[in-house]
Amino acid sequence: MSDTEFEFDLAKDLPRYQAPPELRAAIRRAMSPEPRPRAWWWVGALSASATAMVLTLFWASLGTLTQWRAVPTDPLHRLSRAVVSEHARNLIWGDLQGREFRPHIVPAALPWLRLETGVGHRQAFIGDGQLGFVGGDPVYLDGRRGVALHYKDYDGHSVSYLAVPAPGLTIPEDLRVPVGRYRPALVRNDGFSVWVWKEGDLACFLVADLVSESDLERFKAYFLRIREATQPFIG
Amino acid sequence: MASDPDFEREALQHIDSLFNLAIYLTRNREQANDLIQETYLRAFRFAHRFERGTNLRAWLFQILRNTFLTFYRLRVREPAVAEDGVPDWDTPVFHDAPEPTGEQVETHTDLERALARLPAEFRLILLLAEVEGLPLEEVARIMDCPVGTVKSRIFRGKERLRGLLKDYRQ
Repeated sequence: MSDTEFEFDLAKDLPRYQAPPELRAAIRRAMSPEPRPRAWWWVGALSASATAMVLTLFWASLGTLTQWRAVPTDPLHRLSRAVVSEHARNLIWGDLQGREFRPHIVPAALPWLRLETGVGHRQAFIGDGQLGFVGGDPVYLDGRRGVALHYKDYDGHSVSYLAVPAPGLTIPEDLRVPVGRYRPALVRNDGFSVWVWKEGDLACFLVADLVSESDLERFKAYFLRIREATQPFIG
Repeated sequence: MASDPDFEREALQHIDSLFNLAIYLTRNREQANDLIQETYLRAFRFAHRFERGTNLRAWLFQILRNTFLTFYRLRVREPAVAEDGVPDWDTPVFHDAPEPTGEQVETHTDLERALARLPAEFRLILLLAEVEGLPLEEVARIMDCPVGTVKSRIFRGKERLRGLLKDYRQ
């Protein structure tokens, strides 16, 4: 065999792989903060919708819709869901589990995070004997840049605090839970609990996989620690 | 903080090139999908850092490469690389990572099989320069190394590909 037989042209000889449409759609969805406006032709499909609703109610009555995955339309649930996704992504992809407690990096991390995201902190919780600070990241949630600070408790639970600008966000009264002198909302999503509160035009979240009743007491204590010691602002 | 729809639209135009590269890096559709999603999330998160008028595609490749190195290189041990940065081809390769999940991408040709055996950094340089047709200066910027290193890696990578093709066809 001659050496010329082993010549190749990578551009021509290698097959090209195209991104699947669902991947494009997933990225577009992740980047679109607002739900798409409904088109007028939906009016003509009302009867079909009614039929679908009847079927949905039927299946719901059989208890088969426990894993309903529709994208929430109200901003609070949509943001909470994005927060849970970000936290879960960090648990899977990030190195939160292996990180040591690093409260000493907070003074350097906060100005950097402010520069990256436009969300600053006058002060932030750097951890105590129960909850240790492990790191901070810029985040991009529902089309908004914000800050995430990560903590780990003595049982190894990862707890993330996130703050993103959300000027128009309102917190419904029926979701509010009294915790000390505060009344944050408690949202549960995909096996995670999320505290939500407002700090000016910022929406703040505290997320962890603490969902049982006994865990909830602990999660309240974590909320209080972080809420008392953390002061975010836009700018 | 509002997102930039123009930037997002423009960035998404390059998704096929990025996906193609991700497939050749991971050989796994699920991991390629994750890699692309993570790349775009990071790109949109740091969009304010992109300098208008420069090569957006190259900037996205750079993010993809960094993301790949962060998430994948830690999982799969690469073939040993000698001090001069050239792989020690005769060193056996051991993988201590768990079996990857998701659909593996089949290699259809000897060339694909040979390419898959190159270390990721060499594969990346060849794909960026030869398949995507990026200028060597852009490849060097993406790879964070001098142009001379890019040239020598292209040469060594091709040499190795020829050797592997020869082995396959004997």
